[in-house]
Amino acid sequence: MNHIAVHAAAKPAPVETAALTLMLGDRVLLDRANLRVERGQVLAVTGGAGSGKTALLGTLAGQLPAGVDMAGDARVDGHLLIAQGGRLAPRRPLALQVAEVVGHHLGLDLRSSLRRMADGLDRMGVPAAARRFDLPPEQLPESLRWACLFAMAVAVGPAVLLADAPAAGLDPTVRLRLLHRLADWARADGVALVLAGRPEDGVAGVADHVLTLRRGRLLPPNPPRTEPLTPLEPPGTARLHGRGVGMSYPLAAGPGGKSRSLTVLHGIDLDLRTGETLALLGETGSAKATLARSLLCLPPPTAGAVVWMGRDLMATAAPPAAGEARGDDPDRGGLRRARRDLQPLFPDPASSFDPAMTLGDQFGLVLESLRPDIPADRRDHRIDEVLEEAGLRPEAALRWPSALSVAEAAHAGLARAILSEPRVLIADEPAASLSAEERETFLDTLMTVRDRRRLSLVLATERYDEGLRDAHRGIVMLAGRVVESADAETLRTAPLHPYSRAMRAASRGERPALEGDAPSAFAQPAGCPLRRRCPLAREFCAQAIPALEEVAPGHHVACHYWDTPAEG
Amino acid sequence: MAEYDQPPLSHPLPPEPPRAGFARGLSGAAVLAALALACAAAPLMADGSAVHRLDADPVAAALLDGRGSLSFALLAAVLGGGLGIGWALLAGLLGTLAGSRAERRTIAAAHRMAGWPLALLVPLAGGLVGPVWLLALVTALTAAPAVAALAHAELSTLMRAEFLTAARAAGLPEGEVLRRHLIPNLTRPLLAAGVLALPRVLAAESFASLLGLGLPPALGSWGASVGLAARLGDPVAFAPPALLLALALWAACAIADGVQAGQRKS
Repeated sequence: MNHIAVHAAAKPAPVETAALTLMLGDRVLLDRANLRVERGQVLAVTGGAGSGKTALLGTLAGQLPAGVDMAGDARVDGHLLIAQGGRLAPRRPLALQVAEVVGHHLGLDLRSSLRRMADGLDRMGVPAAARRFDLPPEQLPESLRWACLFAMAVAVGPAVLLADAPAAGLDPTVRLRLLHRLADWARADGVALVLAGRPEDGVAGVADHVLTLRRGRLLPPNPPRTEPLTPLEPPGTARLHGRGVGMSYPLAAGPGGKSRSLTVLHGIDLDLRTGETLALLGETGSAKATLARSLLCLPPPTAGAVVWMGRDLMATAAPPAAGEARGDDPDRGGLRRARRDLQPLFPDPASSFDPAMTLGDQFGLVLESLRPDIPADRRDHRIDEVLEEAGLRPEAALRWPSALSVAEAAHAGLARAILSEPRVLIADEPAASLSAEERETFLDTLMTVRDRRRLSLVLATERYDEGLRDAHRGIVMLAGRVVESADAETLRTAPLHPYSRAMRAASRGERPALEGDAPSAFAQPAGCPLRRRCPLAREFCAQAIPALEEVAPGHHVACHYWDTPAEG
Repeated sequence: MAEYDQPPLSHPLPPEPPRAGFARGLSGAAVLAALALACAAAPLMADGSAVHRLDADPVAAALLDGRGSLSFALLAAVLGGGLGIGWALLAGLLGTLAGSRAERRTIAAAHRMAGWPLALLVPLAGGLVGPVWLLALVTALTAAPAVAALAHAELSTLMRAEFLTAARAAGLPEGEVLRRHLIPNLTRPLLAAGVLALPRVLAAESFASLLGLGLPPALGSWGASVGLAARLGDPVAFAPPALLLALALWAACAIADGVQAGQRKS
């Protein structure tokens, strides 16, 4: 490290720009930026969608995107660009693609290229058993594809590595593990590493320096809000109860015509009190979204019971038994009344609107169905009110869903959810489609609406700190089971389960103490589902699924060895 | 609230890309309409009195043939499109009533049959059965599996759409969901799938007539005229029906493509 620093002082920095200006038409993407990245330095450039990160990296790599004009000066030595999304040919065997790139840069043959690649995979922590070079990338898991891309960069060993949205789309714990390994390599080998990504992707955590691209300027980032918007009020009594909520899907019949099913949600117990915000935390495959939808009975869970204000929703949501007369009651079993009180927020708000109707028409339909007590001539007034409350202009009611931007669609989704004056909002990754400032604005609006209406909120998210920030209580889920549940403050400061700790580390940009990838739902290991990744795992973990036990008042953990330090 | 009044922070929506295939579909429709009009007006071409096919000049004869080809193609396409859409809807209905297994089997049959050389059935039917309506039905059957496969794909995409869940969350009963959301959103993709039958039946009928096993000679057909001229070695009689057939096939394909492309934009 030291000798690199000495050389670095003697030689010019590998990345240097002087008054670099990028224009897209008459819009300034980057305004006179002076950027300097030394050897062994990791720089993260964050910014929301369309802020010009890709244009900046493309310019540094000497590939000016179409339509972008450049002024000023940029000098980059021996660079390698990992483009957005990885850009591997999906159907060509990985080995050939690797050999091509490594061979092109270093002039090596296939065998030596693959040997260098194997070294690179070692540094990315990919076990030898997982290396399947003869498969095309489309048959490899996403995390392995990114590990291979990073390993390819390691094998080439450029002076400067530019990575655009590296490992975006992976689970936070997996993404941060790979990014940290990449940054370790860059620091050890004296490579100038420039990472670009959205602020919520955590590229900032691994970097020595972070700059945010905002309105054409590269500025130090604003620290994210860590405190609730307004002090949280203590919750009231429990109204929504889930008892042993479980969900399983039928699979094709096995050998011998035996019927099979895949259970994704294993008997969750849950209470939601008035005015309480509950964060459901978990990554892909944790079944947090399934649980959120089960609470709404959309579709009803296959096991257990969901009770709202003393009424079993599953009984009311079930179709009427054959032979039983439908009757004229439009609100059979009170389901419509429950729908009025429990409203969802969807992960992709744009697709939750009917493309063939304007927003106003759809809102009118919701009011007609859920609020027959509001006369037809008052509906427009009510629609304007909720649109303004959700941060949109009343004119938005006249627009078609396809004409809304992503952020407007999210706000419109919120407006529709509060249209019927519900008591509970069940939000499944409501801000998943948003980034940076738009994301913060939307979450702030959601919290303002919640506080004003004293709503209960179930917030399913994979972002640990962001989810707990405004919550009273948190539930950490893994593979369809609760692994830890406690009040938000405890989970934020002192989580006990290794999975919670890893998620917390990942959300802060630190190195999560989990190895490998999450197993597929079809190939869950026996015993604890985390045991193949867990630093605390011992032999006994393979024998029994840990039960949820109370370790402190109101704090439950499901781990055999939560109080034991890691072995070795 | 007020914060949202400032200009949006993210980049403005990119300008809508030109709808690929739209212009092509429009020109296809125009060409086909012009062809249909010309064929309809063909009997009046020689100073108002009715022209008979056998003694007419080659262009007028080809236009007269077009009446048979185009009207048969339209009939068979309507039948084939209807059969295919009905097939897809039946599969969807079976899926709701009898489980996804029945649905998968019904539509897997369509997928398999779409790969068979069904067009060979048309000359077979032309040689074996007499009435034109039966021939139209067989021709329609050759196009129906492809239509069914596409229509079912559209149907199952729509059945999984998130806005249906949103409508159920708004407490709408299934009947209302069907009436207010499903049917309005389903009409266009199903019609678009049905249009796919038009170029197929036109090609199948021309192929059968080319072999002399298609429409009866009294009706006239481009394929039959091309086949006859080729057998007689008469280039003047060969060119007009061949060109008109090529033009009609291009137009039908362009319409089907254009409708599909308009459907895919979201």
